Order: sequence, then structure tokens, then C-alpha cells
Amino acid sequence: MEISQDQQVGLITYSLGSCIGVTIYDPIIRVGGLLHYMLPESQIDPLKAQKNPFMFADTGIPLLFKEAYRFGAAKNRLIVKIAGGSQIMDDSGFFNIGKRNYNALRKILWKNNVMIKAEDVGGQVSRTVRLDVGSGKVWVRYSGEEEKEL
Amino acid sequence: MNSVEDIIKSASQLPPFPAVIHRALSLINNPNSSRREVVETLQYDQAITTNVLKVCNSAYYGLRNPIGSLEDAVLFLGFNQLFEIILCGATGSTLEKAVPGYDLAAGELWKHSVSSALLTDIVSKRLKKDQSPLLFTAALIHDIGKVMLNSYVKEQFQAIKKLVQIKGISFLAAEKDVLGIDHAELSSLVIEQWNFPREIIQAIRYHHTPLLATSDQEIVYQIYLCNLIAMLTGIGGGVDGLSYTGFDKIMNYYNLEEKDIERFMAQLGDELEKVELMFQVH
Repeated sequence: MEISQDQQVGLITYSLGSCIGVTIYDPIIRVGGLLHYMLPESQIDPLKAQKNPFMFADTGIPLLFKEAYRFGAAKNRLIVKIAGGSQIMDDSGFFNIGKRNYNALRKILWKNNVMIKAEDVGGQVSRTVRLDVGSGKVWVRYSGEEEKEL
Repeated sequence: MNSVEDIIKSASQLPPFPAVIHRALSLINNPNSSRREVVETLQYDQAITTNVLKVCNSAYYGLRNPIGSLEDAVLFLGFNQLFEIILCGATGSTLEKAVPGYDLAAGELWKHSVSSALLTDIVSKRLKKDQSPLLFTAALIHDIGKVMLNSYVKEQFQAIKKLVQIKGISFLAAEKDVLGIDHAELSSLVIEQWNFPREIIQAIRYHHTPLLATSDQEIVYQIYLCNLIAMLTGIGGGVDGLSYTGFDKIMNYYNLEEKDIERFMAQLGDELEKVELMFQVH
């Protein structure tokens, strides 16, 4: 997880498989944040969640927002964009962590009245996500392809 | 357009696998081997000795008194860990390089390989099975064929991608369609050439298609799972992304649940931090 107000900085996370990258941005004070979480629920391993809350959606997402508020960001101004949550080719559901990660995020944001402005989720691709703190623009790159704005 | 023969021929030009490591593997696998025998086998190989001592004295162990001899190192590490360090040392130079055909930067394939190898221990524990060094070995080198297939995938990437998107087939099947051979098959051919045991060859050959294996199902299934978990975690995800098939039969075979996969992923995250201390991987 990273938060920055440095206008020269690009927050970036590479190689999202079933993980999800969440970017938040306050355009007025120009603060940006990026979280890369791996799993939906911390109850799977509470000890690890204590050590590294950013590993899980339910412990990582609230911290991302709180940290941005510390920088002066306001909830109603935050622009939320997400990418990741890929799946392998699987009909049984055993391996669809990507979908579970996405559902966990939707649930948390919905409960807190936060809208998702843009998303690029699912499929089988590996993604890199970059938030340009100066402009607030978010870029997604599929492995082997050109970067596109989200 | 290159023929399958060209691809296999270029892969066969690899340097041979160090014989000393094969000897070490068979000694370590034999419960009657003594520490003395293992030390005698390894001590004349300067690169191995240096590497083993370097790892023993790394920040990971934080020893107050550095270890200065191979004998002390073997005593300190135990056979299995010793072997893992030697094997990582021998394969690192090949697997650490960038693999641009798969859009993997330097160190990414290595991290994927080490993650899969670490998962063999995590998964074995959950299945209440002993972790055999064969599992670690198979997991560490399962994707070596990607290094050899690199330039061909790069050349034909658009054709492969199109097949994956239009026909909805796996990246592996598309490799086979377009190039005549896929990276799992090529990996197994390389390993065969290096005279690895049959179980390892099988595990590598079928690491994406485990249900096709006709022998050694235990090792094949476990390597399949370990690789899949490393991929889901996004470690070393390249152009192929997650375009592979999930088989519920394997999960049912071991009575595993969805939550087990999540637990494996969480455990891997922890282990990887330790390994970075050990090998200073990127």
C-alpha cells in the first residue's frame, strides 16, 4: 500500500493475477493511493492479517482510505478505480480467487457508500496498474500489450 | 516459420546439468548416506561451496559466528535444505534472466520458480505427506522450457494470442497449435536430456495437464497445484497470464477446498519474504 502527494510520482503495482489493485485519488488536494491485495478475507489467517493487513481486502481497503484521510483527502471526492481479479479457466469455482476478491471489494465499498468510477477486472490476463499522482490518471497494462488509460 | 525440430535442436544445445548435483541428489535421497559422503561429493566444487557458505552466512540466518566450512554448513542446514540451496545455485543463472517472449523481466521467472518450489513444502504439510526433494526440484525447474521457447513465442505472439482469445483455448494449447510444441513438453525434453529421474520428468511434462499423466500421479498433481497457486498469486505472471485450466478433480483427489487455496497463497506471501533474504532475489 502506498499513498503519495508527490506530483512527480507514479504509484505502480506489477503482475496482478487474481489479486486486485485499488487506486484512490482526491483531485482537489491531489493525493493518490494504491493498494495491491491478494485475498478477500482476513479470517483465513488472522495472524498474517495482523502482520500484513494489506494482504486482505477486508483489512487492507479500510486502511487505504484511512491513510488517504490522514493526508487530508475527503471521502466524497475520492475517485476509486480498480483492476485485476483474473481467473484461470475453471468451471468448478475452486480457483476463482479473482472473483472472490472482486466480490469482497464490492461489498466493502457498497457498505461504505463508495462508488467505483472505473474498473478493468476478470479475464485471464496479468495486469500492471499505475496511478499518476500529478494528474490522477490511472493506466492499466496487460502483459505483452500497450498501456491503456482506465 | 521454425519447425519443431529446430526448437528441440536449439534446446539441446544447453550446457549439461552438473553431474555433481545428480550425485548429491541421489546421496541426499538415500537414508543411509553419511554427512561425510555428501561433503566429499561437493567439496571440490568451488562454486557450490562458496554459494552454500554465502547462504548460511546471509541475513536470513543472522548467525553470530559465521560458518566457515562445508562440513559445518551441512551440519547446520541438514540434507534437504542443503540440497535446495545447491539446486537454486545451479539453476539460478538460467532462470534469473529476462524472458521477453513471455514479457518477464529479469528475476520474474526465477521468483515464480522459487515460489512454486516453496509451495511444495506448504502443500505437502497440508496433505500430511513427507516433502520429497524430487518435488522441490521438479517445481524449481518446471518452466525451464519457457527460456528455450522464448524467442519463438515472441515471434508468434500475435498468432498465439489470437487463438487464446478467439478459440478460448489455454495458452499451452495455443503454443502447441502455433509452434508445434508447448513449454511443458519442451521443459520435459530438456530435463530428460539432463538425466533427471522419471518422476521429475513426468511432473514437468504434465504440470498444466495433470490428468494426462499415466504414472507418478502424486508428484504430477502436487506440482500442478503448486504452479497454479504461484500463478494465481501473480508471481511471474506474463503474456500467458492465467490462461490455463483448473481441474477440480485434483482438488477432490486431495479433499481440498477453496479456502485451502487461499491459505496456501497467504503462506506463500510470508515465505517469499524469507527467501529474498536468503538469496537476495529481486
